[in-house]
Amino acid sequence: MKFWDTITGSDLTREWKAFEVRVGALPADHRAAWEQITGHLSSYSDFTGRNLMPILDGALGLLEETAADAQSAREVLGDDIEGFCAALAGGERGRGYRDRWRQQLNRNVARKLKQLGG
Amino acid sequence: MDGLTEMLKGTLEGCVLEIVGGEETYGYAITRRLNELGFAEVVEGTVYAILLRLEKNGLVQVTKRPSEQGPPRKFYALNDAGREELARFWAKWEYVTSRIDKLKEGGK
Repeated sequence: MKFWDTITGSDLTREWKAFEVRVGALPADHRAAWEQITGHLSSYSDFTGRNLMPILDGALGLLEETAADAQSAREVLGDDIEGFCAALAGGERGRGYRDRWRQQLNRNVARKLKQLGG
Repeated sequence: MDGLTEMLKGTLEGCVLEIVGGEETYGYAITRRLNELGFAEVVEGTVYAILLRLEKNGLVQVTKRPSEQGPPRKFYALNDAGREELARFWAKWEYVTSRIDKLKEGGK
């Protein structure tokens, strides 16, 4: 990755543009599923969202493959898109805002407890 | 049978390993196989997430093959680490089922 890209995030913009072109070629229900997937996955994002790019690329690949098979998005993902996203983001790359907030909260509580002489 | 999802959670990965171990195959075919077996609630997204995990843990070999229409498909086959993991899965399964059967029979 080039330094310039890292600073400006211009590589991300390019990737998003490429995603959008691919999404545009999908049938409507797959497009709707993509909206939901990106929505749910955003909570697993790091500061720039760069950690999500390979995950999103894979998820989009799945949508494309299944669209080519003429399967509906519901057949592919079922009702639990949130669970699907959690499984996708799982593991070390899925650490995001929520984990950091949780850590911060834990630290603050621990400090307060110490002040109280606990 | 309905409501199997919770119970299947820990074992689905082993099931997918077993199916992939039989022959090189792809996500859609694995899902269909599980559906035929009676696991109707398993959707392709679930299988996809499992395959992704297997790939990340280095248990499968992935090959991209062009399909007649649309984007290339990813085919999965077990490597040596995958075969070892599959053997471990069946050993664990054996253990759990034998204990649970025993419990059901009255703990003797």
